[in-house]
Amino acid sequence: MTNSKDLLNKMINAPGLSGHEAPIQSIVEEAWKPLADELNTSKLGSLHALQRGTGKEPRPSILIATHMDAIGLMVSNVTDGFLRVSEIGGIDHRVLPGQSVTVHCVEGDLPGVIVQPPEHTLAKENRGGPVPLDGLWVDVGLSPRQVARQIDIGDLVSFASDAVEMGDTLTGHSLDNRASVAALTEALTMLQKRPHHWDVWAVATTQEEETLGGALTSAFELRPTLAIAIDVTFAKGPGSTGHDTFPMNKGPVLGWGPNIHPKLFGELKSAADRLEMAYKKEPLPGMSGTDAITLQVAASGAPTAVISIPLRYMHTPVEMVHTKDITRVARLLTEFIAELDEDFLDKIKWQEEEN
Amino acid sequence: MKELIQDLVQIAGPSGYEADVREYVQKDLKGHVDEMKVDPLGNLITRKGPKDGSGLNVMLAAHLDEIGVIVTHLDDNGFARFTTVGGVFPRNTVGARVKFLNGTGGVIGMEPTGYSSVTPINQMYIDVGVTKKSEMPVKVGDVAAFERTFEDLGKRLVSKALDDRVGVAVLIEIMKQLKDTPHNVFGVFTVQEEVGVRGAAAAAYGVDPDLGIAIDVTLTGDTPKAKTMDVSLGKGPAIKVKDSGMISDPRVVAWMEAGAKRARIPYQKEILTGGSTDARAIQITREGVPAGCVSIPCRYVHSPSEMVDYKDVQDSVKLLVQLLKRPIKL
Repeated sequence: MTNSKDLLNKMINAPGLSGHEAPIQSIVEEAWKPLADELNTSKLGSLHALQRGTGKEPRPSILIATHMDAIGLMVSNVTDGFLRVSEIGGIDHRVLPGQSVTVHCVEGDLPGVIVQPPEHTLAKENRGGPVPLDGLWVDVGLSPRQVARQIDIGDLVSFASDAVEMGDTLTGHSLDNRASVAALTEALTMLQKRPHHWDVWAVATTQEEETLGGALTSAFELRPTLAIAIDVTFAKGPGSTGHDTFPMNKGPVLGWGPNIHPKLFGELKSAADRLEMAYKKEPLPGMSGTDAITLQVAASGAPTAVISIPLRYMHTPVEMVHTKDITRVARLLTEFIAELDEDFLDKIKWQEEEN
Repeated sequence: MKELIQDLVQIAGPSGYEADVREYVQKDLKGHVDEMKVDPLGNLITRKGPKDGSGLNVMLAAHLDEIGVIVTHLDDNGFARFTTVGGVFPRNTVGARVKFLNGTGGVIGMEPTGYSSVTPINQMYIDVGVTKKSEMPVKVGDVAAFERTFEDLGKRLVSKALDDRVGVAVLIEIMKQLKDTPHNVFGVFTVQEEVGVRGAAAAAYGVDPDLGIAIDVTLTGDTPKAKTMDVSLGKGPAIKVKDSGMISDPRVVAWMEAGAKRARIPYQKEILTGGSTDARAIQITREGVPAGCVSIPCRYVHSPSEMVDYKDVQDSVKLLVQLLKRPIKL
């Protein structure tokens, strides 16, 4: 667990915005190397780690997708030494003013802060509420000449705040979805000591926040028999109390809906029951909002499921998770994968749904 | 190249009905490429260069189709109700003229809904100049393109359908000018881009390229009170960094920038917050394809009077030709 916490801390303090995942990819690669029989990178930069199963060939395989890309900003204009930015992924822009950021330039990283103009200078319709993203600036404290020389349109801007541990909870940016990468890493560690019939492809996907293209192309390449996306979902918190929110530290959340194979859901539920682990069911009546959307339809398709970790303050720099939920997801994954046998596909044949 | 552009924009080819545009391109490129075929969706796939050379399989895509309208209902008095094909803005539509594929002309009118707000498409109709349903020269399901003359303003060109016939013209020129490329270059003229980059998705699956580049138009931020966007007419081709449908592969962006600098071609970097191109579909095809886009800056996109700068158009050809002449290492 300590190792896992250290890894997660390291991961969420790293940049690696959608489409530009190189910095996070190298961290995940280092963590997965000792856990994998084979490691390779897709054409879009997703990391594939194979743990071979003990079953006879040709072995079925399960793909577990955790996206490693993060939301952030991109320089879209430079005026008089100040930067305008546009978003990568969906950002809750209300919390942006006052945040410290890192501007990633060709020559190196520059520190910066996100600032908003004084209230009285704003257009009337923008007063008294949050300033929209196109009204905010990034100030890097340099002269207009220095800025023009060093910063270019398209340079990435990532959150610079460090992760903070608060008891068993952890807060920081990019916990969506690096908390899931940490859970998958823990599962790989457990599976090293627990024999499993099936091949396991752990995949750290790219571009989930923009195109879901990393998962789509990796599933096309690896052609898994089953696929599971691990992602985060809305946790209960201040003002977030509805039936569509889930308590922290009360176990994994299992998605349920057309993006999820009903029998596969049932088998995950059974695995949780075997562990006497509490879980919640999350109705996802349309698209699940996760990599499972494309995992399900890549190539000739695969039965998919979604497991989520409850997270507060999604798409802000202070996302929060309970670290025990991460370990629970890892244990659930391990139990489920280790019990996959040669007859498993017979159990999830399309028949009358059982709920 | 102006004549080529003028010819191309005057052909009607709404999404799904690109045949006339495709035939023009086929004729024009005859003898300039090594191979040419039309795939089942209607994409025109041309190829040039050594098949087993030292280079990459490169797919260039420019879309043949344009936005338009399609008839949904004919009323007893000879008016046709319609819906849109692709992103037609209602504000550009009242008073516009349309041309059906069978040659019928018409004008778009609207119910008296007041002039202070934008009238929705379902309160508009097409008047083809008849008074009875039985006299209608068009029927439900017929498609029409917007009709507007081509204007050569010297430095700048104005027309309907510059999105993306100007890209088609650029791709034709590239295929003609490419002589000693080490790459297996596929010039793909795609269908159905305006309705969700559908042609390019199928074409990319078939071509299975190592590198994909779309050639399309992009918006600008250089008009009165425009939304902040660092792309202007006349400042060179735009190298796409991001749009609302994709993030260009950073290696492709760097390769394009280096090529532009080496050849001293002016260029701009583009971040487009609304819209996407065929590159989006190519990037996520099969196992994934490194993809990017060379955009031609264009004002008034999706209106019947789009405007491009002619030098930007010529420089787009230059940029891609000199990039494709040399070995590519991403």
